[in-house]
Amino acid sequence: MRASFFLLLLVTCLLPWNAIGQPDGRKIYAVHCASCHGPKGEGVADEYEKPLWGNKSVDSLTRYIHKSMPEEKEDAVVDEDARAVARYIHDTFYGPAAQARNRPQRIELLRLTNNQYRQSAADLIESFKRPQTITAKRGLRGRYFNVEKMNKEKESVLERIDPAIDFDWGTGVPADKINQEGFSIRWAGSLLAPHTGLYQFRVKTHNSALFLLNSFRGDDEKNAFIDAYVNSRNNLHEKTGRMFLLGGRGYPLYLRYFTYKEKVASLRLEWKPPHGIWEPIPNEYLMPEVVDTVTVVGAPFPPDDRSRGYERGAGVSKEWQEATTYAAVDLVNHLITYLNIVSGLNEKQRKDPAALRRYAHEFASRAFRRPLNPEQKRTFVDSRFDQQSDPHVALRHSMLLVLTSPRFLYPGLAENKGRPDSYTVASRLALTLWDGLPDKQLLQAAKTDKLRTPEQISAQIRRMVQNRKTRRKMQGFFRHWLAMDEREDLRKDPELYPGFDNRLMIDLRRSLERFVDEVVWSESSDYRQLLLDNHLFLNQRLASYYQADSPPGSEFQKVALPGDQRSGILTHPFLLSLNSYHDNTSPIHRGVFLSRQVLGRLLKPPPEAVAFKNEEFDPSLTMREKVTELTKADSCMQCHRVINPVGFSLENFDATGRYRSRDNERPINTVSNYTSEDEEKIRISSARDLANLAAGSRTAHRAFITHLFHHFTKQSIDAYGPGTLESLRAKFTESGYNIRSLLVELTALAASHQVEGKPLAAQ
Amino acid sequence: MMIQNRRNFLRELGLSAAALPFVAGLPSLQAADAVARRQRLIIIFSPNGTLPPHFWQDEPGPLGELKAILQPLAEFKDRMLMLKGLHNRIRGDGDQHQRGISCLLTGIELLPGNIQGGSHNPAGWADGISIDQEISTFLQGNPETRTRFGSLEFGVAVPDRADNWTRMVYSGANKPVAPIDDPYQMLNKLYGQRKDQATLAGLLDDVREDLRKVSSRISKEDRQRLKDHLELVRSMESELTRSGEKNELVHPEPDLDPNIELVNDNTPQVSRMQIDLLVNSLANDMCRVGTLQYMRSVGQARMRWLEVEEGHHHLSHKPIKDKESQDKLLRINQWFAGEIAYLARKLDSIPEPGTEGSMLDHTTIMWTNELGEGSSHTHSNIPFLLLGGGSGFKMGLSHDYGGQPHNRLLMSLAHSFGHRVKHFGNQEQSKDGALELA
Repeated sequence: MRASFFLLLLVTCLLPWNAIGQPDGRKIYAVHCASCHGPKGEGVADEYEKPLWGNKSVDSLTRYIHKSMPEEKEDAVVDEDARAVARYIHDTFYGPAAQARNRPQRIELLRLTNNQYRQSAADLIESFKRPQTITAKRGLRGRYFNVEKMNKEKESVLERIDPAIDFDWGTGVPADKINQEGFSIRWAGSLLAPHTGLYQFRVKTHNSALFLLNSFRGDDEKNAFIDAYVNSRNNLHEKTGRMFLLGGRGYPLYLRYFTYKEKVASLRLEWKPPHGIWEPIPNEYLMPEVVDTVTVVGAPFPPDDRSRGYERGAGVSKEWQEATTYAAVDLVNHLITYLNIVSGLNEKQRKDPAALRRYAHEFASRAFRRPLNPEQKRTFVDSRFDQQSDPHVALRHSMLLVLTSPRFLYPGLAENKGRPDSYTVASRLALTLWDGLPDKQLLQAAKTDKLRTPEQISAQIRRMVQNRKTRRKMQGFFRHWLAMDEREDLRKDPELYPGFDNRLMIDLRRSLERFVDEVVWSESSDYRQLLLDNHLFLNQRLASYYQADSPPGSEFQKVALPGDQRSGILTHPFLLSLNSYHDNTSPIHRGVFLSRQVLGRLLKPPPEAVAFKNEEFDPSLTMREKVTELTKADSCMQCHRVINPVGFSLENFDATGRYRSRDNERPINTVSNYTSEDEEKIRISSARDLANLAAGSRTAHRAFITHLFHHFTKQSIDAYGPGTLESLRAKFTESGYNIRSLLVELTALAASHQVEGKPLAAQ
Repeated sequence: MMIQNRRNFLRELGLSAAALPFVAGLPSLQAADAVARRQRLIIIFSPNGTLPPHFWQDEPGPLGELKAILQPLAEFKDRMLMLKGLHNRIRGDGDQHQRGISCLLTGIELLPGNIQGGSHNPAGWADGISIDQEISTFLQGNPETRTRFGSLEFGVAVPDRADNWTRMVYSGANKPVAPIDDPYQMLNKLYGQRKDQATLAGLLDDVREDLRKVSSRISKEDRQRLKDHLELVRSMESELTRSGEKNELVHPEPDLDPNIELVNDNTPQVSRMQIDLLVNSLANDMCRVGTLQYMRSVGQARMRWLEVEEGHHHLSHKPIKDKESQDKLLRINQWFAGEIAYLARKLDSIPEPGTEGSMLDHTTIMWTNELGEGSSHTHSNIPFLLLGGGSGFKMGLSHDYGGQPHNRLLMSLAHSFGHRVKHFGNQEQSKDGALELA
């Protein structure tokens, strides 16, 4: 203590003023702050250990230092001194720009994320086949027959598109001219999987059914995925199966059914998709056209690194190495077994060693995202074929080596030195927009060196953005940005919220997905609409729960709610419910979520963990009063002066997102003063005020751009140079906040970025 | 060219990697030696009834000269037991064929269902477990008799359809078990994991080399990630090598003829491949119970290799007076007997590890059929022929039980493994207990 007192005196004598009479922030910091915060704000053990960094403005820091710093000597640094030291701290190590300068991010060599591995494997195989086309029509094509002697088709009676397989014919028949004694039906089409993950299926029938899905052995009945062929006592029986599917792709589907001399007839084809519940497969996920099969790597992988807030291929663990190796074994077994389907080679070619060798070359170069050099040709293909007398064994070894090679697993290794060439660009484009490998058009463009100019690149991007694979990745972005998968169990107290059941929650999730899809893929693709739109997508169930005019049936329709209650994602009931307690709202959860994700405020973890214990409060208080009481301490209010007003503005929506005007039998007060990052007090009185604030806030825009950039590129935006974020933000504003344009811009930037001083494998 | 391909294809084609982890490895196959006595059961099914005059010995007593069908088994006469007078008394839904095969090893009725046969009510699956699964479950429940698979279900030329004419094995009521009739698929099930390991162990060296090459060319910061990766590949390689050494097989896996397409005309070759695999899996103690199902009930195999052009079931309906058809049916049934002789000889050629005698001395083969006679579709006098010393039954005899329910024999099989079931299948039909055969 004495030593620092002495130092203080000494330094004071040295005058912390510069020549023109202004206070010198650097010197003030050294005198008053460094002993606890460290000479460069890095923190001091046993004093204040956390590094000084954040995104408060200079004004905000000034105010805080003036009032509260240094601890126990709060009067030592005030007014102009406080401002000078605040500016010094901010510009030297505290602010984001200083952070970027001090710890320059670089573009890392990343491995494929788990999803990228699965998508790349599927794309690799698809590139040898007919690409999938997803058409607009929905439902399954059914052909109906009268039968004799069990299931022998006697006459074809009817052909039609059935919206879903959810039939309870009882003792009746599906249509006129169909015999009650016995009939059979064959359906064909495709299943459209919305998400990646493990799907469960079940066939429920009083009769006989066989279900084929993504069968690599054709549509023959013996390849049934679910076999409910034999039934007992005309009882309702069910058979189940599980299959891992990749989202955004279609899977060939066949369903056979018959009933013969049975009293009761019924058939239901149900699924439980990831995050879903058991239900008949909805119409929107069935398509009457039969697509080609998809090669799916379903083996489990350890989760990807998310330490920076987005998934990226950073960690190389034993589990991951084993998982990818065994996935490669699985994949190669599959490829050899179904070579006739996956290779695009005809029977003669499959017996011809030269043709198999050519296929192996092509397979390797597509997996490595550029043509092989002579040495690679020898290592990965020719040496195998020369050593092995059996070309199928050689092919197998070659493919195994390719799929376990770093050249497949680390896409960055495919890049050339210097200005990115067409292959580098093609690889980056496919990875950025699709998480996968180049498709036929991209391969062609790379081969003919047509990815050189900004115009060529941006033409490709515009084509690719329209692809369903980009839509899939965009949906993933929203799931991540809006933290939609953070909590699995959304159940609420059934006594307080009767009718808010699992079914309704699935509807809510789809409603939000619909809304986001509609905004992003509309003409204007306007970010502000995400925040401000006052419509909700509702089906009958949701409409009745949320007391809106009821659209008929299970189809979703866009409904404008009376008054101006709703404001885009801020008030979407799915997110309001997600960020609530099971028996009450939670202004803190809602406030933290919106402050961080939407408003772009940087909030530190709370200095101490305080649980909200409802029973400890006076029961007559409103939620707002309880939260105010709980967070009143100064140390809490550092962040809660941001969090609470945001949360309070949504108090009009209960724990399930229903509109309400009273809480605990008292009128709700949604008015409060929000403190901006520039220490400006802004009065907000509703979700819409908040949405308007976000829609016009540069901080919010930067947050959105950064999230989108990270999700798509998996690299830090700071790695692309200090001006990158600002230049994207300017373009975003210029485009009228067009999300798709933003995606095009950031993809172009990531694809054509020249990596400095990084010698690469492709040289 | 093709032969080469197929052979290596088999050698290389692995089992699904989902069935790993490899490194934990297969149970050590040598360790099980010299522990408890191994006791095994093989049940073989052939369809469409036998020809009683050419099968049964005329009088009970010591087995004398064998009838024509059994001639191929002559050398095993003293180690055989002929059980006449056992009826499949299970009634209810389903035609004679459906009940014939699906009640044969279960001894219980079929559930009413939707599969319409040639007569009777439509029927579903059997309402209970089959005796092979009952015994296997019993053995798997004891650590001393537990094996990797417990039981293996082989098929030969079984049509690829799931109905109650095509299933004799049930793991429980309404739970049929499909036989594997593709030897290559069975080979994978038995050895695929090992092959994958071997292939991988051979390739990982190249993967490391590749990583090394790539690493030398990239920046220092990025190199660490690849170095970690390289280290992991190295450790996997050595684990695989070690686990490969630990899992040396007592009996090397059979070298299957790789050029056999699974078509009707190749049935004789497929049959031998399946028998080889069955013997091999028993010798390596992967299972103690095996079933081998030829075709299916009502099977229409055209046995051209016996110069029989007509379908088997069609032939079996011909009147007994039809000399030519009877002659063909005799050839067919002799062929089945010959396959069983091949199996028995093979088992007899392998010494039982850790004790005296051959594997056949510790194995019981039971050959049976869903009908007593094809032309009459009778469930009386179901052919039951036992061979080998696994059960401890007194052999070299022919019994005639004069119409006892076959459930009693199924119970005897369980009892011979020390599994003292009080009933099996239909309670009424098994109320008199096991047959005394020891």
